[in-house]
Amino acid sequence: MREIEITVNGERRREAVEDRRLLLDFIREDLCLTGTHAGCEHGACGACTVLLDGQAVRSCLMFAAQADGSELTTIEGVGSYPDRLHPVQEGFWEEHGLQCGYCTPGMIMASIDLLAENPSPSDEEIRERLAGNICRCTGYVNIVRAVHHAAAAGREDQS
Amino acid sequence: MRDLSAYSVDHGIEIASPNMLGASVKRVEDPRLIGGHGRYVTDVERPGMLHATFVRSPEAHALIRAVDTTAARELPGVVAVFTGEDLREATSAIRADAGYPTWQTSARPILAVDRVRFVGEPMAMVVAVDRYVAEDAASLVMLDLESLPPIMTVDQGLAPDVEPFHDGWETGCYVTRSKESGDVDGLFAQADHTLKLRMTTQRYAAVPMEGRAVVAELDPHDEVLTIWDSTQVPHLARTGISQHLGHPEHRVRIIAPDVGGGFGLKCMVFPEEIAIPFAARALRRPVKWVEDRVENLTASAHARDARDDLEIAFNDDGELLALKAHVVIDSGAYSVWPYTASMELGTAVNQMPGPYRFRAYRGEGAAVATNKTPHGPFRGVSRVAATFALERVVDEVARFLDMDPIELRKRNLIRSDEFPWESPGGYVFDSGSYIESLEKLAEMSDVAELRRRQRDLREQGRYIGIGVSCFNEQTAHSFAEYAERGTPVVVGYDKAHVRMDADGKVTVFVDTHAQGQGHETSYAQLVAAQLSIPFEDVRVSFGDTETAPAGMGTFASRSMAMGGGSIQLATRDLKAKLVRLAAHMLEASPEDVELREGMFFPAGAPARSVSVREIARMVHLQSNKLPPGEDPLLETSYSYRGDPGTGTFPNCAQLVVVDVDPDTGKVTLLDYFVVEDCGPVINPMLVEGQIHGGVAQGIGGALFEHSLYDEESGQPLATTFLDYLMPGATDVPDIRLEHLYTPSPWTPGGVKGAAEAGTTGSPAAIANAVADALRGFGDVLVDELPLTPERVYAHILAARAAQATPATPDPR
Ligand code: FES
Ligand code: FES
Repeated sequence: MREIEITVNGERRREAVEDRRLLLDFIREDLCLTGTHAGCEHGACGACTVLLDGQAVRSCLMFAAQADGSELTTIEGVGSYPDRLHPVQEGFWEEHGLQCGYCTPGMIMASIDLLAENPSPSDEEIRERLAGNICRCTGYVNIVRAVHHAAAAGREDQS
Repeated sequence: MRDLSAYSVDHGIEIASPNMLGASVKRVEDPRLIGGHGRYVTDVERPGMLHATFVRSPEAHALIRAVDTTAARELPGVVAVFTGEDLREATSAIRADAGYPTWQTSARPILAVDRVRFVGEPMAMVVAVDRYVAEDAASLVMLDLESLPPIMTVDQGLAPDVEPFHDGWETGCYVTRSKESGDVDGLFAQADHTLKLRMTTQRYAAVPMEGRAVVAELDPHDEVLTIWDSTQVPHLARTGISQHLGHPEHRVRIIAPDVGGGFGLKCMVFPEEIAIPFAARALRRPVKWVEDRVENLTASAHARDARDDLEIAFNDDGELLALKAHVVIDSGAYSVWPYTASMELGTAVNQMPGPYRFRAYRGEGAAVATNKTPHGPFRGVSRVAATFALERVVDEVARFLDMDPIELRKRNLIRSDEFPWESPGGYVFDSGSYIESLEKLAEMSDVAELRRRQRDLREQGRYIGIGVSCFNEQTAHSFAEYAERGTPVVVGYDKAHVRMDADGKVTVFVDTHAQGQGHETSYAQLVAAQLSIPFEDVRVSFGDTETAPAGMGTFASRSMAMGGGSIQLATRDLKAKLVRLAAHMLEASPEDVELREGMFFPAGAPARSVSVREIARMVHLQSNKLPPGEDPLLETSYSYRGDPGTGTFPNCAQLVVVDVDPDTGKVTLLDYFVVEDCGPVINPMLVEGQIHGGVAQGIGGALFEHSLYDEESGQPLATTFLDYLMPGATDVPDIRLEHLYTPSPWTPGGVKGAAEAGTTGSPAAIANAVADALRGFGDVLVDELPLTPERVYAHILAARAAQATPATPDPR
């Protein structure tokens, strides 16, 4: 066991974790933030994507101990219904970018990361960047539209 | 021809708010899901909960000499380790028998006893304080196995001297099927040409992003076992678990909360769904099991895996006369409950003639047992492989006759004035727009322009291919199909209960579930449309057997026609009562009462009115005012059976443009067009989502996904997402979609199933496009999926060496 200090969705916390505890399990079971999902636990599907110090990472490929001293953002910290939805969440809702919703938190986190780097991505850029996030339901067509929707909202905010 | 006119009934459904139908209402499911507040089984926590993991067979076929759990039990944190012997008495082996005379039974113990028959078969269950400890302990369970040679191909299983696969077997098949209609031999003798081809569809799987998951807890107060289960079929799960666990059904409660995708995988009952409640009951503590991806890819169920030998008789003018099909399915190690190992074969034999006007048909085949993961349902059961096989053959006929493949199809498709059509496969097609769909497809894709572009690009060294598929498919089938198969459960009906409370708001309880289809939204639209109340005033509840009425659940594109049918009819009956009460309050006769925007008024006198809400208030809170003969109740139930039980048949046509890289064999999809006719559409946005996702799954099956085995050792080779390749965002092009709206004469509102068409037609269209592109290299027969770069490149090399086997019909 070791002590880590971590800022979770804006809140500073001290937690004791076993050395081998995955960041994913720590988030879901110790922090009880179950919006982050396990889709493969071998780094291939992106369902477990969270932001660590603003960068998208796969929480199934890290130990919780490695997040010591970091700032963690999960889907719960991104925004919530009714009046605090993030533009990316709005985009997914408006464009029907989700069906079962299982890949969705990871997809939203990856999209936020994408838009932070590239506020006006093309279709190809969106597809390239999200290629590591697997969705079995939507066929991605509306996910691409959702990201465009969010990008347009972001541009409107700027102007 | 059967008399089917009796089924074309007017269900008496009157739509008061037509703007609610055909409207892309935003999903009410989404706020929780986009916020990370979905509730999946994995998220369930119970006080004192233990965690289970399974020890699985590392061998494809072996005798079990011993399972030594001593070391595992000694690990701190381990609460129990169970083996097959421990469960033998308290549970019954899963037997899923079909009623065909050729049927041979398989018994699948909940945990293996005596023998294992595939890699991944559960042999022991470890229960511990957390998942980490459980997995540590699982690695300490010692297995003493005596290897046996595995059956890894259908040819091995079909060999006359094959060892009995299950007790008492005389052949290597679960079942064989044959059916014949019309003068097959006569037409084959008469035809100008015949062509015989073998088409092979690989084994692949449903792979929902959330795997299977179960939490079980026994309430000591009343011995009710509550089971949170990631299932599409809560009530079937309750029946299956109750039967195999020997726990009475009224003390089993299934809660299926948000389910992270199903696609057919979760409409079966698996041994793990029985083992976990067994452990919870034995230990009297809550127990949780969450499948990991390796288990999901190797130990849940696989699908497809069909080898289709088709022989077609046709004339010079392109008329298709008759078809023979011999279908062999690799059904794996056990028959799945409740659909049985007859499912893929039985429906393939029925489906094979497709939407064409064949005058005669002979279908036969076998479902063969192998030492592989059991074969189960997956979106587009049997149709995906059958459509691939038939549509490839039809394309090869067009090629032989040098006809345009769209023109050849059009001259052979059933015309829209010919319904109902009794297919030689035994289906009754209710209605359709087969030719119109194809025409619309040609128009929207501007196929003539595409052909011009293809020729231009060929000159620049690019290999572009254009492929078409068109098909119809059985959806929302109820009792007829299952009665024919003689399955343990004759899937027959769905049930709704509609309740209006004192404030005039409505809750709908229904047995069907949703794994992304958006029924909480579309079902509410159905109710709001009839009752003319705001959409927000309708709440849809399902997934808990304690509150939902019993029915069959969600699979086979049945929810909107069957579950939605029961909702529409229960709502109709509720509305009839509201109309009677409104008439009483307005002192008018019920026939003269009209409903608009939530208000009832006498025809022609809208000034006098009473609202839905006022009626609800009277019934619940002022029952003294009720007229004689009316009870204080605003609840109706309807169990809809879907007569005549053969289902409703949507149709679809797809066109895809591919680019084949001559140096690598890589196939890139450039354009995708779909015309779909699933009858009247309740929520177009949701239907389009179903098509997009369905097409993507078909693309995966056409190009990459493969549950491959090593045939010597029997080891599965695709055990993670690194070797089981799922389509990603760069693999699926934008999909252009148009609708036609031919109603079913039978279902309430004319609704047909919408969820599977995308998947059903895409491997066929893609294979036809790749075949078209490869013609640029020479004679190539595209006859096997998936079309991996390796396979396509091999075709290119073969064509270049002019060694490919051309599909040459017998000249007559
Ligand atoms: S769960 Fe982490 S990438 Fe799949
Ligand atoms: S919405 Fe179901 S996996 Fe993406």
